[in-house]
Amino acid sequence: MHILIVEDDQVARDYLAKALREVGHTVDVAADGLEGLHLASSIALDLVIVDRMLPKLDGLALVQSLRATGRKFPVLILSALGDVDDRITGLRAGGDDYLTKPYHVSELLARIDALARRAELGSGEAATKLKLADLELDRMTRRVTRGGKKIELTAREFQLLEFLMRHSGQVVTRTMLLEGVWDYHFDPQTNVIDVHISRLRQAIDKDFDKPLLHTVRGAGYSLSEED
Amino acid sequence: MDQEQGFLGVLTSSPFRIAIVYSIAFALGTVALLSGVYFAVSRVIDGSTDNLIEAEVQGLREQYLVLSRSDFIDLVEQRSHTQDVRGAVYLMVDPRMRPVAGNLPAWPTIPPGEGKWIQFKAIVPYGDQTRVHEVRAQRFPLPGGYRMLVGHDVQERQDVKNLMMRGLVAAVVSTMLIGIGGGIWMGRRILAHAGAISAVATQIMRGDLSRRLPVRDAEDELNTLAREINGMLDKIEQLTLGMRTVLDSAAHDLRTPLNRLQSTAEAALAGLGKDSPERRVLERVTAEVDRMRSTLDALLRIALAETGTVAREAVDLSALVASIVELYAPVTEERGIELRSEVAAGVHIQGSRQLLAQALANLLDNAIKFTPAGGHVRVFLRNDATGSEITVEDDGPGIPADKRELVLGRRVRLDEARKVPGSGLGLSLVAAVTKLHGARLVLADADPGLRVSLKFAV
Repeated sequence: MHILIVEDDQVARDYLAKALREVGHTVDVAADGLEGLHLASSIALDLVIVDRMLPKLDGLALVQSLRATGRKFPVLILSALGDVDDRITGLRAGGDDYLTKPYHVSELLARIDALARRAELGSGEAATKLKLADLELDRMTRRVTRGGKKIELTAREFQLLEFLMRHSGQVVTRTMLLEGVWDYHFDPQTNVIDVHISRLRQAIDKDFDKPLLHTVRGAGYSLSEED
Repeated sequence: MDQEQGFLGVLTSSPFRIAIVYSIAFALGTVALLSGVYFAVSRVIDGSTDNLIEAEVQGLREQYLVLSRSDFIDLVEQRSHTQDVRGAVYLMVDPRMRPVAGNLPAWPTIPPGEGKWIQFKAIVPYGDQTRVHEVRAQRFPLPGGYRMLVGHDVQERQDVKNLMMRGLVAAVVSTMLIGIGGGIWMGRRILAHAGAISAVATQIMRGDLSRRLPVRDAEDELNTLAREINGMLDKIEQLTLGMRTVLDSAAHDLRTPLNRLQSTAEAALAGLGKDSPERRVLERVTAEVDRMRSTLDALLRIALAETGTVAREAVDLSALVASIVELYAPVTEERGIELRSEVAAGVHIQGSRQLLAQALANLLDNAIKFTPAGGHVRVFLRNDATGSEITVEDDGPGIPADKRELVLGRRVRLDEARKVPGSGLGLSLVAAVTKLHGARLVLADADPGLRVSLKFAV
């Protein structure tokens, strides 16, 4: 992917650029809002990462200008403010996701992958049937089967599986799950998400040879055919 | 506000009450004044007729002594039919009570035990006709078993009295009606203004500090008050915005170096082998960054909630409580704790869904932390006329009554709690979120264990 990072903090910017390049992305950087706007308007981009507070042109204003000129690539906003309201204003300004500093690069990478997947699928409704190896999920009939065998799930487990299947092959973090499935934005002190995942794992992997739901150490979870 | 409530509102408004008190006072004054007049006038009229009758009785007694019976009868007849003394009533009866002279058709039925004065209804001459009128009279015996009755038509007097009585009643009723009407009018006016003020005040309390109280053209106390409150609100808005700015820059100034630290550590980690000693050090650094981050998040959220500048939305409290319970259900089961919940349906409040969710999650985190395996955690959402209430109960060690106030302060961890991990900010956040929503936080004994309630007023 071709990614533009607009971030005034040099340490964070350099590290982020390096980390993104390491996983195979093409990266351009801008140190202030105006430069960012200029670059974003002149080159073909797949995704933009924007810091919220930027010199010359504020991050939110930058996103708004990009949206106003019809740029549709996904935008991830990084913020050193980051509370309930800031998140909403960020998304309202045209951001697609919002991440508060300090962040783990693993979290950021997972979110970038998720945004890219979403952009790929387009704004249209996702397919009715999701499929991974012999695991199938039908969103219409709310039926889940593995190897043709019906799997009983609670409503929440179904949602959780649906979210994971939409991001199959990608790392999904605990906060992404709490946001995507429950729509809550806080860090629970208890390992609530892990326990939900282990129940789901019981349901879909227990009676089968090949596990699909993997734990990615230090990052989160991944639903994929590969080990 | 619906019609009925609006009307009830008027009835309980202070101007209406004042108007009622004043109209009752005025009505009592009117009663006192008109009663005085009534009794004075009655006495004057009664006195003059009574004197007239007394004089006539005296005169006839004297005449009887000097006249023969037939002359006396003539005299009575004559007096009965002359028109100069209007309203005079005479009757003379023989021993068998048959009228022999006078202008009354029959001797009235007089109840036994009557005194000198009697009063009765009788057919009396009225110009060329007769009428049934009230008559006041004296009677006295004449020699030979004859009896004489001398009286006066007091109907007019009665009419005047009745008229005055009616006037009195009318004056009282109209005073009351004017008072009630005026009270309703004034009540409506004040209520409309006060209603507008309280509607805006509610919005302001919900966090919209840019709103101002309505000020009308009229120069009255309410307007002066509204203007002064608006001045105060300007100041509060300035202060709150100032606080918010300070918070934002504090957040920025703390998060940016933390992020740099995290980035640097992660960058350094990337080049290290799996078992190098530097790796362990750097992993501890990132773990500490995580802890600082969560403490910072909690502190900033508490401060934000305390500024009251968080945006409000309609929150389905029933759905929220149910979903948090559902979020925590597997983890409690895993730890051998029984989680039970009773959630009233359809409870909605204005507030911040995210902060409420976090507050409830903090309470559940705490309850789970302090409840041993085999214990119970109960979550209730109740709703009645007085408001709604979220309650989280556990049967862990609880908090001694004298320390309950203490734990709501920042970073207080009781000795008991030091054995379990946590920042000590959980309950502080709950307290700040509770306050933000105008609710009351109550810690009580669940006997055994702790009961925490968030009481939202209607």
